[in-house]
Amino acid sequence: MVSTWLREYLRKMRGSTRGSPPRVSNQEILWSWFGAFLGIAAVAWVSQLFFEGIDLTLMISSFGSSAVLLYGAVRSPLAQPRNLIGGHVLSALVGVTCWKLLHQQLWLAEALAVAVSIAVMHATRTLHPPGGATALVAVIGSNDIHKLGYLFVLIPATLGPLILLLVALLVNNLSKTRRYPEIWF
Amino acid sequence: MENKFPGSSEDVPAGDGVPEMELTDEDILDAMRHIPGFLDISTEDFRVLYHLAHRHAVGRLFEGTRADRLMRTVQEPLHPQMTLAGAARIIALCGYKGLPVVDAKTSVIGMLTETDFLRRLQADTFLDLMLRMLDDTFEFTHRCHETPVSAAMISPAVTVSGDAGFWEIMRAFHRHAGRSMPVVAGDGHLLGMIFRKDFLAAHHLEDLW
Repeated sequence: MVSTWLREYLRKMRGSTRGSPPRVSNQEILWSWFGAFLGIAAVAWVSQLFFEGIDLTLMISSFGSSAVLLYGAVRSPLAQPRNLIGGHVLSALVGVTCWKLLHQQLWLAEALAVAVSIAVMHATRTLHPPGGATALVAVIGSNDIHKLGYLFVLIPATLGPLILLLVALLVNNLSKTRRYPEIWF
Repeated sequence: MENKFPGSSEDVPAGDGVPEMELTDEDILDAMRHIPGFLDISTEDFRVLYHLAHRHAVGRLFEGTRADRLMRTVQEPLHPQMTLAGAARIIALCGYKGLPVVDAKTSVIGMLTETDFLRRLQADTFLDLMLRMLDDTFEFTHRCHETPVSAAMISPAVTVSGDAGFWEIMRAFHRHAGRSMPVVAGDGHLLGMIFRKDFLAAHHLEDLW
């Protein structure tokens, strides 16, 4: 009984497939590059108006991972507007709340921010992996970020994704082989 | 439902018994190369999705099929002791090409169709039959009035039960060349007749290919 369970448990670790997705064409790579460059340039420029130093770096890294999805995996359900906006906004809400309630226990606030964010995104069908980073930034950011309180949810956690979304709409639909979004909500 | 199928198409039961081609990694990767852009799915996940979607589609297309929902009623079945002449009148009156033959308890014991008439009257086609009648009307009349249905019918008949589903009906139609067959209850009692054209019309099978 136990040995059967263990065998099955270990068998899962072998992986189930050899078929990882194939390499995309050079044209696709170019479009991904172009979209990501414009998207992050726009977000970084706007973010400079509000943040500086480490806070700017932290938020840009969260949006950088959104850019991978938005411009590199355009068709992915994780890259659709509902997930992009919903994932960042809800995760920011969770992150700020965790900081406010548990900032005495930083490790706990960090762990809960990410774990609860994932649960909330799952429950609301807004799963967007960079949301985990946004929740974490709300906890580990500097005093400037903590002082923002729930304003953090609006700037940068809503404004940034909106800029990325606008660039994605403009750039991803230029190519004949691309279309964005697949679904809005 | 998804909890039952954690990660492998091997975990998904076939269920419907409908033939389904096993897709290899190469098949799926080739399809993915035809779609520009990065597809965020593994081949194994695609296989599981395909398998479940196929099962759902089969259910959607064929689940509601039951022989007793598609069958037509038989007002007057044939009896084995009837003459071919009497049987021909009843068949002509009902407008079908053949009728089930039942015993005293209305259990199906055979099937008599126009083709069986031709065979019994030693004609290959209706034109052949007409020519034979012109040549020897007496012999033809004698055969029709002297031969009982039991001597001409196909027995046992290929039948389906009232609760037979799509695949059971399909297999039954494959087993014989007739255009229709009797639908029977568990004890062999005649319920009606199912026609190939009604069966095909009910499923819009042309949409599948």
